[in-house]
Amino acid sequence: MKAVWSWLLELCDLSNVPTVEEGARALTAGGLEVESLVDLGAGFGGVVVAEVVGKRPHPESNKLTLVDVITARGGAATQVVCGAPNVPEPGRKVLWAPPGATLPGGMTLAVKAVKGVESPGMLCSETELEIGDDPSGIIVLDADDGTPLGARAQQALGVADWVLDVNAPANRGDCLGHLGLARELCALLGGRLVPPAPEPDLEALAADLDAAALADVTIGDPEGCPRYVARVIDGLTVRRSPRRFAQRLRAVGVRPISNLVDVTNYVLFELGQPLHAFDWHHVRGARGSRDATRGGVNAGGLYPGRGDGNVPCVIDVRRARAGERMTTLDGQERTLVPDDLLICDGERPVALAGVMGGSDSEVSATTSRVLLESASFQPRSIRRTARRLGLPSEASQRFERGVDPELAPLAAARAAVLLARLGGGRIARGQVDVYPRSPIRPIVPLRLSRIRSLIGADLHPGECEAALLRLGCEVVPDGEGHWKVTPPSARADLGREVDLIEDILRVHGYGNVPATLPALRVGPAQLVDDVADRARRALAGAGLAEAITFGFQSRDRAAALGLATDGSDRRAHPVALRNPMSAEQAVMRTSLLPNLLAAVARNASYGIADVALFEVGAVFLRAAGQALDGEPTALCDEPLHAAAVLAGARPRWLGAPQPWDVFDVKGVLEALTRALGAGELRTVAASDIPYLHPGVAARVHDADGRVIGELGEVHPAVRERLGVEGPVFMFDVALGALPAAAPARMRSIPRFPASARDVSLLLDDPIPAARVRDVISAASQDLVETVRLAEEYRDAARLGAGKKSMLWSISYRAADRTLTDAEVDAAHEAIVARLVAETPAERR
Amino acid sequence: MPTTSTDLIAQLERLGGEFAAAIAPLADEQSIRAAQAQYLGKKGQVSDVMKELGRLPPAERPLVGQAANKVKDTIALAVEERLGALAAGRRAADLARAVDLTLPGRPVGGGHLHLLTQVRLELVEIFAEIGFAVAEGPQVETDWHTFEALAIPKDHPARDMQDTFYVADEIVLRTHTSPVQLRTRQTHTPPRRIVAPGVVYRRDDDATHSPMFTQIEGLVVDEGVRVSDLKGVLLHFVNRFYARLTGGAGLDVRLRPSYFPFVEPGVEIDMSCGFCRGAGCRLCKGSGWIEIGGAGMVDPDVFAQVGIDSERYTGFAFGMGIERMAMLRHGVNDIKYYYEGDLRFLDQF
Repeated sequence: MKAVWSWLLELCDLSNVPTVEEGARALTAGGLEVESLVDLGAGFGGVVVAEVVGKRPHPESNKLTLVDVITARGGAATQVVCGAPNVPEPGRKVLWAPPGATLPGGMTLAVKAVKGVESPGMLCSETELEIGDDPSGIIVLDADDGTPLGARAQQALGVADWVLDVNAPANRGDCLGHLGLARELCALLGGRLVPPAPEPDLEALAADLDAAALADVTIGDPEGCPRYVARVIDGLTVRRSPRRFAQRLRAVGVRPISNLVDVTNYVLFELGQPLHAFDWHHVRGARGSRDATRGGVNAGGLYPGRGDGNVPCVIDVRRARAGERMTTLDGQERTLVPDDLLICDGERPVALAGVMGGSDSEVSATTSRVLLESASFQPRSIRRTARRLGLPSEASQRFERGVDPELAPLAAARAAVLLARLGGGRIARGQVDVYPRSPIRPIVPLRLSRIRSLIGADLHPGECEAALLRLGCEVVPDGEGHWKVTPPSARADLGREVDLIEDILRVHGYGNVPATLPALRVGPAQLVDDVADRARRALAGAGLAEAITFGFQSRDRAAALGLATDGSDRRAHPVALRNPMSAEQAVMRTSLLPNLLAAVARNASYGIADVALFEVGAVFLRAAGQALDGEPTALCDEPLHAAAVLAGARPRWLGAPQPWDVFDVKGVLEALTRALGAGELRTVAASDIPYLHPGVAARVHDADGRVIGELGEVHPAVRERLGVEGPVFMFDVALGALPAAAPARMRSIPRFPASARDVSLLLDDPIPAARVRDVISAASQDLVETVRLAEEYRDAARLGAGKKSMLWSISYRAADRTLTDAEVDAAHEAIVARLVAETPAERR
Repeated sequence: MPTTSTDLIAQLERLGGEFAAAIAPLADEQSIRAAQAQYLGKKGQVSDVMKELGRLPPAERPLVGQAANKVKDTIALAVEERLGALAAGRRAADLARAVDLTLPGRPVGGGHLHLLTQVRLELVEIFAEIGFAVAEGPQVETDWHTFEALAIPKDHPARDMQDTFYVADEIVLRTHTSPVQLRTRQTHTPPRRIVAPGVVYRRDDDATHSPMFTQIEGLVVDEGVRVSDLKGVLLHFVNRFYARLTGGAGLDVRLRPSYFPFVEPGVEIDMSCGFCRGAGCRLCKGSGWIEIGGAGMVDPDVFAQVGIDSERYTGFAFGMGIERMAMLRHGVNDIKYYYEGDLRFLDQF
């Protein structure tokens, strides 16, 4: 909220008047962050208040006037040329920018000839000084303006002042008005709050009318409207507000409109109480009431009874009926829902409570009698209505955060006095105050021991008590180190001991709290599994760069994998967001792959074709038993996955590029499982994985045969859908499914040498290497230490079509002796025999 | 023809004399050894000469034996010299090699962790030093864990502070990692000391806000935990994490009252600006302080939600954005770079 410094100071009596910078610092340190501090009058300089003492037409132009001004009583007059149509008669004050004065935008004035007559500087308009939006003429100060001649123009304009943009926390609705901020300044700097005291003026400006006879208020929904105060002000004339009054509104960001509207805004910003001014004559009485001039005849905008009908207007606060309609003062017809709280007259809704007035009852240029509403409304109700209709306003913003019901009478009286003053009217005697259930103010017990133990500093009891008093609390001692505290009604946020401790701490100052470390005590043991980070380190170590991508993605991207939608694959049924910010964030990812492929495409578009990326993160699957479509009714399964993509070529060193192939990505996967101690994984060729090349695809199984992931070359159609041109090799495994690694145990270092034997086999091409390995392992030769495929090639000319050659190298070793050639040969020949018979294969 | 010892000795001396010349043209060890065998082997020329020894009177034989040993020594020495000379030649030739070491190194590794991972791991380590364990929780969360149990009922103005992605009426993308502290409090009794780093989501998108970002949240619950402890823990963190940035100069922490529904008192955390040392710069907007997160003492109502006696136990919680920390420390100027998999960005860290 924007606050005007002079306005704040008006509302407090501080022991030492601070500079605006000191005030801003104190508010910030107290939790009311001053986000900016603007000097209102900084835009121009050297412009002074001058009095017109004579004027006559310019000899050469009938649009120009020669104006004589003085800046000191009895001083010499200066003749200034002025082009404005509204040069006032002698005796009125204007603002003169003499030579040397500077205007917004940086222009410096000089003596300049205007159509042959020298003009030392100029007389200024609002737009020239950038303090208003009236370009039609020069600024003429109000007739009764008391600013002395020669004074700075800033003083006359009310801009010798600062605006503080204060960010009030969500629970401090009381700080959305100058009064609340002034209370804070008093608490933080030491001082006394001085709220406006309209009572004496109410008496002085009283009309010979009785409010109770002019307004009949009922609250049909006391929960929605705890209090409704109404006042009636009569005999008003609608006109512009005085300049400095209007300037304050401008400073807080509100455009001045007319005295009647400006007063309600002024009091809103001053006290934090939103008000609404109805044209009393347009608020109808009870249906069928005898005053025929009220109600029913407004079709032509004629109100013959204006001013004389003294039958009370009716105000009823109730919930809307389903389908009920009203036109708000912005001209929009609104369809209401039963949750909306309405202000109704005898016949129809006249305002959306706390949100916006109705068009039929708003004040206009002809309003003479105002029904002033100063009410409090339930925050939730206002919030819902304002939200539903998209009508956030200064008023709804305050009601949403809670407005103190105790504030209503003061605000009504303050506004009534200002209306009467600015509109030349009189105030009907008394107010209508409907307050069915005045809330019980809490009495909060407070312990010194708790203050000290929660803060960690030995505050003095006197300091605690003084802080609470300065905050406006009533404090009653209740035994040694105990108090009973009644917070001010404006502070609905202070209901518990801890709330009071916070405020004591705010006044004490967080800077005065020492820094300590909490005593380290052992809690219950907790198993921390950092498999995700171990996987990340392993993959980075294998030469890949880590990517982190969004947890959501577009439907297109999610669908790009072409997963089976027959219910067999949960990944094909992502959970959707109700309110994504864009189509790019429509659904939660079920695979890490699409985002990684998109990253490959993105890098390619930047000219980076060689990409080795991985991501380790959660994917989001509908929980078991959940429907495959629609909104879920349970949280998702969030399995942790690791996926990698290789595109382009290996990191290159001189010479030709070496493109990645699928065995690179398999090697990365093997490095990963090795690092995680997950044991041997098996890959089983699978041509039915929709997003992988049917001939370069496999499922990855753990040692127990469970499928934990997929490996292969991305299907060309899939990558093209995601904008990737060249081959991409990938794996995707569920880390959570990997067997938990037990700490590695040392095996004895061999003491005897190993012996190697090779066997060269000729096989049918489709026989996989795994088959050979399985046969070797099935031969159960205890002496076998390692089995390694050393070479594989095809050569139709030498080997025959559909054949391939494999060279396997098997190493034999015994733990307790050096093997003899005979032993090794025996074991090796046994294996070869089985290979020939079972694989089947020929020995070459 | 009669054989005399003089003859035999002369033959041996001749063999010894001609050997060095015989191997002089040989340039490899194998042929030198072959030449050596030709002279000294069982069927070598020296052996041939020695076969005549039997014909000599026994008294002359030792003289010839001595001559034979001398020849063997001569030949062995010649072999050694010749091999030595060859080795020296090879060494010299090897040392004559010269390589252009301005050529680039052959690439090794080249993989790396994401900047956010690096920072997160560092943070976890910094907090582990003072006893914090890591906790995690789901990203798609219940409304209850995300809001209700943290004293943020529906229609609470604080929900404005965190515009939420909804999946269903009661299921949201978590807007903060605070549900994790709630989950650990549900399953663990105090004392607890955890940090919960994790991805969170808010409907916000500009140069400093991303709809997905990473928070780290800390929680300490025990008997006698104080505001001063919160300050001390934050001081430790700030000075460890930003130490290298400031060249070792100490950073200060300022707590500023603020409002978060689940803590009371609640504070914003500012650290003194280590970039300009308080002189005023763009990062601290001239104030000398940089806002780095929110914190506060756990609200008694939140303790009540998970059945912890707030008279016996107190606690504090703090939350900070990891992206922002990395932005500050590493000068990242747009949050979107973190999530695009753009190697031009990733490879810088």
